[in-house]
Amino acid sequence: MKWFITIWRTLNKPAKYLTLGTISLSAFLMGIIFWGGFNTALEMTNTEAFCISCHSMESKPYQELQQTVHWSNHSGVRATCPDCHVPHNWTRKIARKMEASHDVWGWLLQTVNTDEKFEAKRLEMASREWKRFDRDDSLACKNCHDYASMKWESMSKLAQKQMKRAAEIDQSCVDCHKGIAHKLPDMGTSRAPELIAQVGSGESSLQVGGTYFTALTKPLYFNDTTDVEAGTLNIATKVTVLETQGDRVKVGIDGWRKKVGAGRVIYYDFGLNILSAQLSKEAALEEGVMEIFEQKEDPMTGLQWQRVEAKIWTEKDFLVKDLQPLWDYARETYSTSCSVCHTQPSEAHFDANTWPGMFQGMIAFVNMDQDTQALVQKYLQEHSSTFDKSAH
Amino acid sequence: MAEQDLATKPSQVKSKELKALGFIIFLLFPILTISGIGAYGFVIWMIQAFGGIVSH
Repeated sequence: MKWFITIWRTLNKPAKYLTLGTISLSAFLMGIIFWGGFNTALEMTNTEAFCISCHSMESKPYQELQQTVHWSNHSGVRATCPDCHVPHNWTRKIARKMEASHDVWGWLLQTVNTDEKFEAKRLEMASREWKRFDRDDSLACKNCHDYASMKWESMSKLAQKQMKRAAEIDQSCVDCHKGIAHKLPDMGTSRAPELIAQVGSGESSLQVGGTYFTALTKPLYFNDTTDVEAGTLNIATKVTVLETQGDRVKVGIDGWRKKVGAGRVIYYDFGLNILSAQLSKEAALEEGVMEIFEQKEDPMTGLQWQRVEAKIWTEKDFLVKDLQPLWDYARETYSTSCSVCHTQPSEAHFDANTWPGMFQGMIAFVNMDQDTQALVQKYLQEHSSTFDKSAH
Repeated sequence: MAEQDLATKPSQVKSKELKALGFIIFLLFPILTISGIGAYGFVIWMIQAFGGIVSH
Protein backbone atom coordinates (compact mmCIF):
# COMPACT_ATOMS: atom_id res chain seq x y z
CA MET A 1 0.00 0.00 0.00
CA LYS A 2 2.89 2.31 0.77
CA TRP A 3 4.24 2.22 -2.77
CA PHE A 4 0.82 3.18 -4.04
CA ILE A 5 0.64 6.21 -1.76
CA THR A 6 4.14 7.26 -2.85
CA ILE A 7 3.14 6.99 -6.51
CA TRP A 8 -0.13 8.82 -5.86
CA ARG A 9 1.71 11.69 -4.17
CA THR A 10 4.22 11.92 -7.00
CA LEU A 11 1.48 11.90 -9.61
CA ASN A 12 -0.45 14.56 -7.79
CA LYS A 13 2.09 17.34 -8.32
CA PRO A 14 3.87 18.84 -11.29
CA ALA A 15 6.99 16.93 -12.20
CA LYS A 16 10.11 18.51 -10.84
CA TYR A 17 12.86 16.83 -12.82
CA LEU A 18 11.15 15.08 -15.75
CA THR A 19 10.52 17.57 -18.54
CA LEU A 20 7.11 18.01 -20.14
CA GLY A 21 8.77 16.81 -23.36
CA THR A 22 9.89 13.52 -21.83
CA ILE A 23 6.48 12.86 -20.31
CA SER A 24 4.41 13.69 -23.36
CA LEU A 25 6.76 11.92 -25.77
CA SER A 26 6.83 8.74 -23.69
CA ALA A 27 3.04 8.80 -23.28
CA PHE A 28 2.59 9.37 -27.03
CA LEU A 29 4.95 6.52 -27.95
CA MET A 30 3.37 4.16 -25.44
CA GLY A 31 -0.04 5.02 -26.82
CA ILE A 32 1.05 3.99 -30.29
CA ILE A 33 2.77 0.84 -29.08
CA PHE A 34 -0.16 -0.15 -26.89
CA TRP A 35 -2.82 0.39 -29.52
CA GLY A 36 -0.75 -1.40 -32.14
CA GLY A 37 -0.16 -4.28 -29.74
CA PHE A 38 -3.83 -4.40 -28.81
CA ASN A 39 -4.96 -4.62 -32.40
CA THR A 40 -2.29 -7.18 -33.23
CA ALA A 41 -3.49 -9.34 -30.35
CA LEU A 42 -7.11 -8.84 -31.44
CA GLU A 43 -6.24 -9.84 -35.00
CA MET A 44 -4.36 -12.85 -33.69
CA THR A 45 -7.55 -14.09 -32.04
CA ASN A 46 -9.27 -13.52 -35.38
CA THR A 47 -7.25 -16.05 -37.33
CA GLU A 48 -8.23 -19.55 -38.26
CA ALA A 49 -5.06 -20.89 -36.63
CA PHE A 50 -6.29 -19.47 -33.32
CA CYS A 51 -9.80 -20.91 -33.75
CA ILE A 52 -8.64 -24.41 -34.51
CA SER A 53 -6.06 -24.42 -31.75
CA CYS A 54 -8.91 -25.92 -29.72
CA HIS A 55 -9.39 -29.61 -30.45
CA SER A 56 -13.18 -29.43 -30.61
CA MET A 57 -13.04 -26.74 -33.30
CA GLU A 58 -10.37 -28.51 -35.33
CA SER A 59 -11.87 -31.98 -35.21
CA LYS A 60 -15.45 -31.20 -36.21
CA PRO A 61 -16.34 -27.80 -37.72
CA TYR A 62 -12.98 -27.33 -39.46
CA GLN A 63 -13.02 -30.81 -41.00
CA GLU A 64 -16.60 -30.36 -42.16
CA LEU A 65 -15.82 -27.00 -43.73
CA GLN A 66 -13.24 -28.74 -45.91
CA GLN A 67 -16.01 -30.69 -47.64
CA THR A 68 -17.76 -27.54 -48.78
CA VAL A 69 -17.52 -24.88 -51.45
CA HIS A 70 -16.52 -22.35 -48.83
CA TRP A 71 -13.22 -24.22 -48.52
CA SER A 72 -12.26 -24.75 -52.14
CA ASN A 73 -13.89 -23.63 -55.36
CA HIS A 74 -13.02 -22.56 -58.90
CA SER A 75 -12.40 -18.93 -57.98
CA GLY A 76 -9.91 -19.78 -55.24
CA VAL A 77 -11.52 -17.55 -52.65
CA ARG A 78 -12.21 -19.22 -49.34
CA ALA A 79 -13.94 -18.30 -46.12
CA THR A 80 -12.07 -18.69 -42.84
CA CYS A 81 -13.79 -19.16 -39.47
CA PRO A 82 -13.85 -15.48 -38.45
CA ASP A 83 -15.14 -14.36 -41.85
CA CYS A 84 -18.52 -15.81 -40.94
CA HIS A 85 -18.45 -16.10 -37.17
CA VAL A 86 -17.00 -12.75 -36.08
CA PRO A 87 -18.66 -9.47 -37.05
CA HIS A 88 -16.37 -7.18 -39.04
CA ASN A 89 -17.60 -3.95 -37.51
CA TRP A 90 -15.33 -2.99 -34.58
CA THR A 91 -18.00 -2.51 -31.90
CA ARG A 92 -19.82 -5.72 -32.78
CA LYS A 93 -16.49 -7.53 -32.98
CA ILE A 94 -15.56 -6.50 -29.43
CA ALA A 95 -18.99 -7.59 -28.20
CA ARG A 96 -18.56 -10.94 -29.96
CA LYS A 97 -15.09 -11.37 -28.44
CA MET A 98 -16.57 -10.85 -24.98
CA GLU A 99 -19.37 -13.27 -25.82
CA ALA A 100 -16.76 -15.81 -26.87
CA SER A 101 -15.48 -15.89 -23.30
CA HIS A 102 -18.43 -18.27 -22.89
CA ASP A 103 -16.54 -20.72 -25.12
CA VAL A 104 -13.65 -20.72 -22.65
CA TRP A 105 -16.05 -22.23 -20.12
CA GLY A 106 -16.97 -24.89 -22.62
CA TRP A 107 -13.29 -25.64 -23.10
CA LEU A 108 -12.55 -25.78 -19.36
CA LEU A 109 -15.58 -27.98 -18.62
CA GLN A 110 -14.92 -30.06 -21.77
CA THR A 111 -18.47 -29.57 -23.03
CA VAL A 112 -17.90 -30.78 -26.58
CA ASN A 113 -14.53 -32.52 -26.43
CA THR A 114 -15.73 -35.83 -27.89
CA ASP A 115 -17.60 -36.74 -31.03
CA GLU A 116 -20.66 -37.88 -29.05
CA LYS A 117 -20.79 -34.75 -26.93
CA PHE A 118 -20.40 -32.56 -30.00
CA GLU A 119 -23.20 -34.31 -31.87
CA ALA A 120 -25.45 -34.12 -28.81
CA LYS A 121 -24.99 -30.36 -28.66
CA ARG A 122 -24.84 -29.73 -32.39
CA LEU A 123 -28.42 -28.56 -32.76
CA GLU A 124 -28.16 -26.24 -29.77
CA MET A 125 -24.93 -24.71 -31.03
CA ALA A 126 -26.23 -24.42 -34.58
CA SER A 127 -29.44 -22.79 -33.33
CA ARG A 128 -27.38 -20.18 -31.51
CA GLU A 129 -25.37 -19.46 -34.64
CA TRP A 130 -28.52 -19.24 -36.78
CA LYS A 131 -29.99 -16.78 -34.33
CA ARG A 132 -26.85 -14.68 -34.65
CA PHE A 133 -27.16 -14.71 -38.44
CA ASP A 134 -30.88 -13.91 -38.24
CA ARG A 135 -30.22 -10.94 -36.03
CA ASP A 136 -28.33 -9.02 -38.70
CA ASP A 137 -29.93 -10.51 -41.83
CA SER A 138 -26.88 -12.70 -42.51
CA LEU A 139 -24.50 -9.75 -42.69
CA ALA A 140 -21.61 -12.22 -42.40
CA CYS A 141 -22.63 -13.73 -45.76
CA LYS A 142 -23.36 -10.37 -47.28
CA ASN A 143 -19.84 -9.15 -46.58
CA CYS A 144 -18.95 -11.22 -49.65
CA HIS A 145 -22.23 -12.14 -51.33
CA ASP A 146 -24.24 -9.24 -52.66
CA TYR A 147 -27.76 -9.47 -54.07
CA ALA A 148 -26.92 -6.56 -56.36
CA SER A 149 -23.99 -8.41 -57.91
CA MET A 150 -25.85 -11.62 -58.66
CA LYS A 151 -25.90 -12.63 -62.30
CA TRP A 152 -29.45 -13.81 -62.71
CA GLU A 153 -28.97 -15.25 -66.23
CA SER A 154 -26.51 -17.86 -65.03
CA MET A 155 -28.97 -19.16 -62.46
CA SER A 156 -31.61 -21.78 -63.15
CA LYS A 157 -35.15 -20.52 -63.64
CA LEU A 158 -36.20 -21.75 -60.23
CA ALA A 159 -33.16 -20.24 -58.50
CA GLN A 160 -33.79 -16.92 -60.22
CA LYS A 161 -37.36 -16.86 -59.04
CA GLN A 162 -36.40 -17.60 -55.43
CA MET A 163 -33.34 -15.35 -55.33
CA LYS A 164 -35.06 -12.36 -56.92
CA ARG A 165 -37.79 -12.55 -54.36
CA ALA A 166 -35.21 -12.81 -51.58
CA ALA A 167 -33.29 -9.85 -53.02
CA GLU A 168 -36.43 -7.69 -53.00
CA ILE A 169 -36.83 -8.04 -49.27
CA ASP A 170 -33.09 -8.29 -48.54
CA GLN A 171 -33.75 -11.67 -46.98
CA SER A 172 -31.37 -13.25 -44.49
CA CYS A 173 -29.34 -15.90 -46.36
CA VAL A 174 -29.50 -18.59 -43.67
CA ASP A 175 -33.30 -18.55 -43.86
CA CYS A 176 -32.78 -21.02 -46.70
CA HIS A 177 -29.06 -21.81 -46.84
CA LYS A 178 -28.50 -23.70 -43.61
CA GLY A 179 -25.91 -26.45 -43.33
CA ILE A 180 -23.76 -25.08 -46.16
CA ALA A 181 -20.44 -24.86 -44.31
CA HIS A 182 -20.91 -27.46 -41.61
CA LYS A 183 -23.15 -30.49 -41.31
CA LEU A 184 -26.80 -29.82 -40.68
CA PRO A 185 -27.92 -30.99 -37.24
CA ASP A 186 -30.33 -33.86 -37.22
CA MET A 187 -33.55 -31.89 -36.92
CA GLY A 188 -36.07 -34.67 -37.34
CA THR A 189 -35.21 -36.84 -34.40
CA SER A 190 -34.10 -34.39 -31.74
CA ARG A 191 -36.54 -32.74 -29.38
CA ALA A 192 -37.26 -29.09 -30.06
CA PRO A 193 -34.65 -27.12 -28.06
CA GLU A 194 -35.98 -23.71 -29.11
CA LEU A 195 -39.52 -24.67 -28.22
CA ILE A 196 -38.42 -26.01 -24.84
CA ALA A 197 -36.40 -22.85 -24.23
CA GLN A 198 -39.43 -20.68 -24.88
CA VAL A 199 -42.21 -22.69 -23.29
CA GLY A 200 -40.31 -24.50 -20.53
CA SER A 201 -40.24 -28.13 -19.54
CA GLY A 202 -43.48 -28.21 -17.60
CA GLU A 203 -44.93 -27.35 -14.20
CA SER A 204 -42.89 -28.39 -11.18
CA SER A 205 -45.90 -29.87 -9.43
CA LEU A 206 -49.16 -31.15 -10.83
CA GLN A 207 -52.51 -30.86 -9.11
CA VAL A 208 -54.83 -33.82 -9.21
CA GLY A 209 -57.99 -32.76 -10.98
CA GLY A 210 -56.22 -29.89 -12.77
CA THR A 211 -56.15 -29.52 -16.53
CA TYR A 212 -52.84 -29.17 -18.37
CA PHE A 213 -51.55 -29.03 -21.91
CA THR A 214 -48.73 -31.14 -23.32
CA ALA A 215 -45.70 -29.06 -24.27
CA LEU A 216 -44.09 -31.87 -26.29
CA THR A 217 -45.24 -35.09 -27.88
CA LYS A 218 -45.20 -37.57 -24.98
CA PRO A 219 -45.09 -41.34 -24.67
CA LEU A 220 -48.02 -43.14 -23.02
CA TYR A 221 -47.62 -46.13 -20.72
CA PHE A 222 -49.88 -48.89 -19.43
CA ASN A 223 -49.13 -48.13 -15.77
CA ASP A 224 -46.89 -46.12 -13.46
CA THR A 225 -43.84 -48.40 -13.68
CA THR A 226 -43.71 -50.25 -16.99
CA ASP A 227 -41.55 -49.17 -19.90
CA VAL A 228 -43.95 -50.75 -22.36
CA GLU A 229 -45.28 -47.88 -24.45
CA ALA A 230 -48.99 -47.69 -24.97
CA GLY A 231 -48.95 -44.98 -27.64
CA THR A 232 -48.20 -41.29 -27.95
CA LEU A 233 -49.87 -38.19 -26.63
CA ASN A 234 -49.76 -35.34 -29.14
CA ILE A 235 -48.37 -31.89 -28.36
CA ALA A 236 -50.75 -29.09 -27.24
CA THR A 237 -53.35 -31.60 -26.09
CA LYS A 238 -55.53 -30.86 -23.08
CA VAL A 239 -55.39 -33.51 -20.37
CA THR A 240 -56.84 -33.86 -16.88
CA VAL A 241 -54.54 -35.10 -14.15
CA LEU A 242 -56.16 -38.05 -12.38
CA GLU A 243 -53.36 -39.47 -10.26
CA THR A 244 -49.62 -38.98 -9.75
CA GLN A 245 -47.08 -41.62 -8.83
CA GLY A 246 -43.32 -40.94 -8.83
CA ASP A 247 -42.30 -39.67 -12.25
CA ARG A 248 -45.54 -40.77 -13.82
CA VAL A 249 -48.96 -39.23 -14.01
CA LYS A 250 -52.29 -40.75 -14.99
CA VAL A 251 -54.17 -38.47 -17.32
CA GLY A 252 -57.62 -38.36 -18.81
CA ILE A 253 -57.76 -37.50 -22.50
CA ASP A 254 -61.18 -36.32 -23.69
CA GLY A 255 -62.01 -36.55 -27.35
CA TRP A 256 -63.71 -38.41 -30.14
CA ARG A 257 -62.71 -41.48 -32.07
CA LYS A 258 -63.79 -43.04 -35.33
CA LYS A 259 -65.51 -46.31 -34.80
CA VAL A 260 -63.20 -48.25 -37.09
CA GLY A 261 -60.74 -51.01 -36.20
CA ALA A 262 -59.64 -50.76 -32.59
CA GLY A 263 -60.53 -47.08 -32.57
CA ARG A 264 -57.12 -46.26 -31.21
CA VAL A 265 -56.79 -42.67 -32.41
CA ILE A 266 -58.35 -39.94 -30.29
CA TYR A 267 -59.28 -36.69 -32.00
CA TYR A 268 -59.86 -33.24 -30.57
CA ASP A 269 -63.53 -33.05 -31.48
CA PHE A 270 -66.29 -34.76 -33.44
CA GLY A 271 -65.48 -35.06 -37.15
CA LEU A 272 -62.19 -33.18 -36.91
CA ASN A 273 -58.82 -34.68 -37.86
CA ILE A 274 -57.00 -32.90 -35.06
CA LEU A 275 -54.88 -35.48 -33.35
CA SER A 276 -54.93 -35.73 -29.56
CA ALA A 277 -53.46 -39.16 -28.93
CA GLN A 278 -52.65 -42.38 -30.70
CA LEU A 279 -52.92 -45.48 -28.55
CA SER A 280 -51.39 -48.80 -29.47
CA LYS A 281 -53.94 -51.42 -30.44
CA GLU A 282 -53.35 -53.30 -27.17
CA ALA A 283 -53.87 -50.13 -25.15
CA ALA A 284 -57.06 -49.22 -26.99
CA LEU A 285 -58.52 -52.64 -26.28
CA GLU A 286 -57.23 -52.83 -22.68
CA GLU A 287 -59.93 -53.01 -20.03
CA GLY A 288 -60.52 -49.68 -18.30
CA VAL A 289 -58.53 -47.48 -20.67
CA MET A 290 -61.28 -46.20 -22.92
CA GLU A 291 -64.52 -44.94 -21.49
CA ILE A 292 -67.14 -44.61 -24.22
CA PHE A 293 -69.96 -42.08 -24.28
CA GLU A 294 -72.43 -41.05 -26.99
CA GLN A 295 -72.15 -41.92 -30.69
CA LYS A 296 -72.79 -39.77 -33.78
CA GLU A 297 -72.56 -40.22 -37.54
CA ASP A 298 -70.40 -37.86 -39.56
CA PRO A 299 -72.56 -36.93 -42.57
CA MET A 300 -69.45 -36.11 -44.64
CA THR A 301 -67.94 -39.58 -44.43
CA GLY A 302 -70.74 -41.74 -43.12
CA LEU A 303 -68.45 -42.87 -40.31
CA GLN A 304 -69.66 -43.42 -36.76
CA TRP A 305 -67.82 -41.33 -34.15
CA GLN A 306 -67.78 -42.00 -30.42
CA ARG A 307 -67.01 -39.57 -27.65
CA VAL A 308 -64.39 -41.15 -25.42
CA GLU A 309 -62.17 -40.50 -22.45
CA ALA A 310 -58.89 -42.41 -22.33
CA LYS A 311 -57.31 -42.89 -18.92
CA ILE A 312 -53.65 -43.71 -19.26
CA TRP A 313 -50.21 -43.02 -17.81
CA THR A 314 -47.53 -40.69 -19.10
CA GLU A 315 -44.45 -38.95 -17.75
CA LYS A 316 -44.84 -35.98 -15.45
CA ASP A 317 -42.71 -33.54 -17.43
CA PHE A 318 -43.77 -31.18 -20.22
CA LEU A 319 -47.24 -30.51 -18.91
CA VAL A 320 -48.04 -26.78 -18.78
CA LYS A 321 -50.96 -24.84 -17.32
CA ASP A 322 -51.18 -22.31 -20.11
CA LEU A 323 -51.62 -23.09 -23.78
CA GLN A 324 -50.92 -19.58 -25.08
CA PRO A 325 -47.07 -19.75 -25.04
CA LEU A 326 -47.30 -22.83 -27.26
CA TRP A 327 -49.53 -21.03 -29.74
CA ASP A 328 -47.25 -17.99 -29.64
CA TYR A 329 -44.27 -20.16 -30.52
CA ALA A 330 -46.25 -21.91 -33.25
CA ARG A 331 -47.40 -18.60 -34.76
CA GLU A 332 -43.83 -17.24 -34.85
CA THR A 333 -42.51 -20.44 -36.38
CA TYR A 334 -45.30 -20.53 -38.95
CA SER A 335 -44.73 -16.98 -40.05
CA THR A 336 -40.92 -17.20 -40.20
CA SER A 337 -40.58 -20.64 -41.76
CA CYS A 338 -43.31 -20.35 -44.35
CA SER A 339 -42.72 -16.76 -45.44
CA VAL A 340 -39.28 -17.83 -46.64
CA CYS A 341 -40.69 -19.04 -49.93
CA HIS A 342 -44.13 -17.47 -50.20
CA THR A 343 -46.74 -15.39 -48.48
CA GLN A 344 -48.26 -17.81 -46.04
CA PRO A 345 -52.06 -18.15 -46.06
CA SER A 346 -53.81 -16.89 -42.96
CA GLU A 347 -54.64 -19.55 -40.40
CA ALA A 348 -58.36 -19.25 -41.10
CA HIS A 349 -57.91 -19.64 -44.85
CA PHE A 350 -58.46 -23.39 -44.64
CA ASP A 351 -60.60 -25.55 -42.37
CA ALA A 352 -59.27 -27.95 -39.76
CA ASN A 353 -59.44 -30.99 -42.02
CA THR A 354 -57.75 -29.31 -44.99
CA TRP A 355 -54.71 -28.00 -43.10
CA PRO A 356 -52.91 -31.33 -42.52
CA GLY A 357 -52.71 -32.02 -46.27
CA MET A 358 -51.58 -28.47 -47.06
CA PHE A 359 -49.07 -28.47 -44.24
CA GLN A 360 -47.61 -31.91 -44.92
CA GLY A 361 -47.21 -30.98 -48.58
CA MET A 362 -44.97 -28.05 -47.65
CA ILE A 363 -43.05 -29.47 -44.72
CA ALA A 364 -40.31 -30.99 -46.89
CA PHE A 365 -39.11 -27.48 -47.78
CA VAL A 366 -38.27 -26.39 -44.25
CA ASN A 367 -36.22 -27.73 -41.38
CA MET A 368 -38.62 -28.44 -38.56
CA ASP A 369 -38.26 -31.06 -35.88
CA GLN A 370 -41.18 -33.41 -35.33
CA ASP A 371 -42.48 -31.75 -32.18
CA THR A 372 -42.56 -28.36 -33.84
CA GLN A 373 -44.20 -29.81 -36.94
CA ALA A 374 -46.93 -31.38 -34.84
CA LEU A 375 -47.38 -28.17 -32.88
CA VAL A 376 -47.60 -25.89 -35.91
CA GLN A 377 -50.04 -28.22 -37.65
CA LYS A 378 -52.24 -28.28 -34.58
CA TYR A 379 -51.98 -24.51 -34.21
CA LEU A 380 -53.15 -24.07 -37.80
CA GLN A 381 -56.00 -26.54 -37.34
CA GLU A 382 -57.25 -25.01 -34.11
CA HIS A 383 -57.08 -21.51 -35.59
CA SER A 384 -58.60 -22.58 -38.91
CA SER A 385 -61.89 -21.43 -40.38
CA THR A 386 -63.53 -24.30 -38.48
CA PHE A 387 -63.06 -22.27 -35.29
CA ASP A 388 -62.43 -18.75 -36.52
CA LYS A 389 -65.62 -17.67 -38.23
CA SER A 390 -64.36 -14.17 -38.96
CA ALA A 391 -62.69 -15.28 -42.20
CA HIS A 392 -64.57 -15.96 -45.41
CA MET B 1 4.36 18.12 1.83
CA ALA B 2 6.74 20.81 0.69
CA GLU B 3 8.90 20.19 3.74
CA GLN B 4 8.97 16.52 2.90
CA ASP B 5 10.25 17.24 -0.61
CA LEU B 6 12.92 19.52 0.69
CA ALA B 7 14.08 16.72 2.91
CA THR B 8 14.45 14.24 0.03
CA LYS B 9 17.32 14.35 -2.43
CA PRO B 10 16.72 15.42 -6.05
CA SER B 11 17.87 12.00 -7.33
CA GLN B 12 15.26 10.27 -5.15
CA VAL B 13 12.51 12.53 -6.43
CA LYS B 14 13.59 11.89 -10.01
CA SER B 15 13.47 8.13 -9.53
CA LYS B 16 10.05 8.45 -7.92
CA GLU B 17 8.79 10.44 -10.88
CA LEU B 18 10.20 7.92 -13.35
CA LYS B 19 8.60 5.06 -11.46
CA ALA B 20 5.26 6.82 -11.39
CA LEU B 21 5.45 7.53 -15.12
CA GLY B 22 6.38 3.94 -15.83
CA PHE B 23 3.54 2.69 -13.66
CA ILE B 24 1.04 4.81 -15.48
CA ILE B 25 2.05 4.18 -19.06
CA PHE B 26 3.03 0.53 -18.83
CA LEU B 27 0.55 -0.76 -16.30
CA LEU B 28 -2.33 1.44 -15.20
CA PHE B 29 -3.52 2.93 -18.47
CA PRO B 30 -3.20 -0.28 -20.51
CA ILE B 31 -5.18 -2.13 -17.84
CA LEU B 32 -7.82 0.60 -17.71
CA THR B 33 -8.10 0.69 -21.49
CA ILE B 34 -8.45 -3.07 -21.81
CA SER B 35 -11.02 -3.31 -19.04
CA GLY B 36 -12.86 -0.33 -20.52
CA ILE B 37 -13.05 -1.97 -23.94
CA GLY B 38 -13.99 -5.25 -22.30
CA ALA B 39 -16.80 -3.61 -20.33
CA TYR B 40 -18.01 -1.84 -23.46
CA GLY B 41 -18.14 -5.13 -25.35
CA PHE B 42 -19.86 -6.83 -22.43
CA VAL B 43 -22.53 -4.12 -22.23
CA ILE B 44 -23.25 -4.46 -25.94
CA TRP B 45 -23.43 -8.22 -25.61
CA MET B 46 -25.92 -7.87 -22.73
CA ILE B 47 -28.00 -5.34 -24.64
CA GLN B 48 -28.15 -7.75 -27.56
CA ALA B 49 -28.92 -10.70 -25.32
CA PHE B 50 -31.68 -9.13 -23.25
CA GLY B 51 -32.95 -6.11 -25.11
CA GLY B 52 -32.93 -7.76 -28.49
CA ILE B 53 -31.53 -5.68 -31.30
CA VAL B 54 -33.31 -3.87 -34.03
CA SER B 55 -32.25 -5.79 -37.05
CA HIS B 56 -33.44 -3.50 -39.82
